[in-house]
Amino acid sequence: MPAGRPVLANWQALLLVAPLVALLAGLVGYPLVRLAIDSLGSGVDLGAYATVLESSAGQRALVVTVLASLLVAGLSVAIGGLLAWYARSARSTWVRTALWVALLVPFFMGTVTKNYALVLLLADNGPLNSLLSALGLGPVRLLYSSTGVVIGMVYSMVPFAAFSLYGVFLTIDETLVEAARSMGASRVRAARTVTLPLVLPGVVASLALVFAISLGFYVTPVLLGGAQVPFMGGLIQDYIFTSFDYELASAASVILLVVGFAVLAVSLGLIGRERLLRAVA
Amino acid sequence: MSDRLVHVLGIVVAALVVTILLAPVLLTAVLSLSSDSYFTFPPDSWGLRQYREVLGDARWASAVSYSFELAVPVALLSVAIAVPTAFAIGRSRLPGRHAIYAGGLAGIVVPISAFAIALYGVFAELGLHGTYVGLVLANTVLAVPVVLIVVTAAMARVPVELELAAMAAGASRRRAWLGITTRLLLPSIVAGGVLAFVTSFDEVVLIVFLGGVDQTTLPKAILDSARFGVSPVITAVSTLLMLGTSAVAIAAVGLARRRR
Repeated sequence: MPAGRPVLANWQALLLVAPLVALLAGLVGYPLVRLAIDSLGSGVDLGAYATVLESSAGQRALVVTVLASLLVAGLSVAIGGLLAWYARSARSTWVRTALWVALLVPFFMGTVTKNYALVLLLADNGPLNSLLSALGLGPVRLLYSSTGVVIGMVYSMVPFAAFSLYGVFLTIDETLVEAARSMGASRVRAARTVTLPLVLPGVVASLALVFAISLGFYVTPVLLGGAQVPFMGGLIQDYIFTSFDYELASAASVILLVVGFAVLAVSLGLIGRERLLRAVA
Repeated sequence: MSDRLVHVLGIVVAALVVTILLAPVLLTAVLSLSSDSYFTFPPDSWGLRQYREVLGDARWASAVSYSFELAVPVALLSVAIAVPTAFAIGRSRLPGRHAIYAGGLAGIVVPISAFAIALYGVFAELGLHGTYVGLVLANTVLAVPVVLIVVTAAMARVPVELELAAMAAGASRRRAWLGITTRLLLPSIVAGGVLAFVTSFDEVVLIVFLGGVDQTTLPKAILDSARFGVSPVITAVSTLLMLGTSAVAIAAVGLARRRR
């Protein structure tokens, strides 16, 4: 920080951040602590966790949620990364505009409308299956299957991954790549030895964030997976609104949060706070 | 693999992905112009029947108005909370200011259905479950990060020297902040507020877990009717919602980028 910068006194800054701190303490911190306490039940034991993790519904939901989220993180970062790279390096204004529109539209389309549109697209007698049948490749069961859920989640997360990686790509000096190419490196080799090491921290951050967000998905599994693809979000809802068992719901939620926070913590250790934060914004 | 092949392959994949990303929107818009009372693709007859049905049904109108009733205070509250924080982060050396910024982003990163249950317990205790105030507070947690990101980034681009110059010329800090910094930040603050509005307008998971039976926003109404049977009317509602949200959001993004 340059000298002479009009620095606020700490007590003044404290006043300015007080509303946010109050909001976070009251509506994030306290609820999460309370959730952990409630999950232990009146007997203060791990009975609810045992019930969730030993039931076949609980095991299935956890496995499906974690595997789908891993897959979604990998695919979204790969696809989003590719699009972000073109958005950064394409010379034609048309190409760049098309890319930004294609990324902004799903991002701002609205969670429910987006998933509803995918229901129409992926239906057994929908346009995608007509196309596949015409090509002799279908029909394939997409709606109400784990494939459909993964497609829907990737559709939601590609723009997020692309925006976060675009910021990373902007920081790369393209002359480095050109230098490697001018000295005879192939496009692939230049990407592997010059670009990849520079973008790797951003990719790790993006993977971790997409994974953590994916764990909590509710709308996509409900609309595109139905009863066939049980997600933790749906299981939690069943516990609370069908079995009226808040203890089980909170135990299942804590499990989900622990998995998410663990992945974020590992990536924090790998790449540091600043890069992780930059991937969000 | 030859360079040329990798290059062409990359462009083909990118073109394919762009098409796929836009397909659901276009499909919904096309189907909304069908006059059939059931789904067929391509539609058997065309017309504005679905739109007439939407406009003739008071339930959609009341869902839209409840969405507005939530999103407006959420946007104002988010701006009121996030903008002072952005000033503290950009213009102070408060220890822990980076941690506060990171905490402020929690609403984006936390797995939403688990967070909804955490709020459920507290809301049940405080009698906020199924109330208007409860939903405003819950949506604000999700909307604050958006404003925080936009305004903090903009703040970093406003040169401190401008404030210094004003203060050297005799202005108080308050005057320098209001007259110069806030004025320069205004497009970003408005953009952040609009994006907060959109975030709240779009929110559906929290209202499923925390809302009462009589509380229905537009996304909740669409979710409910999509779950209990597929009606072509939803395509018209979705198209209108998409047009509205995209227009507002893209305007906001444009506003935020203008000041680069």
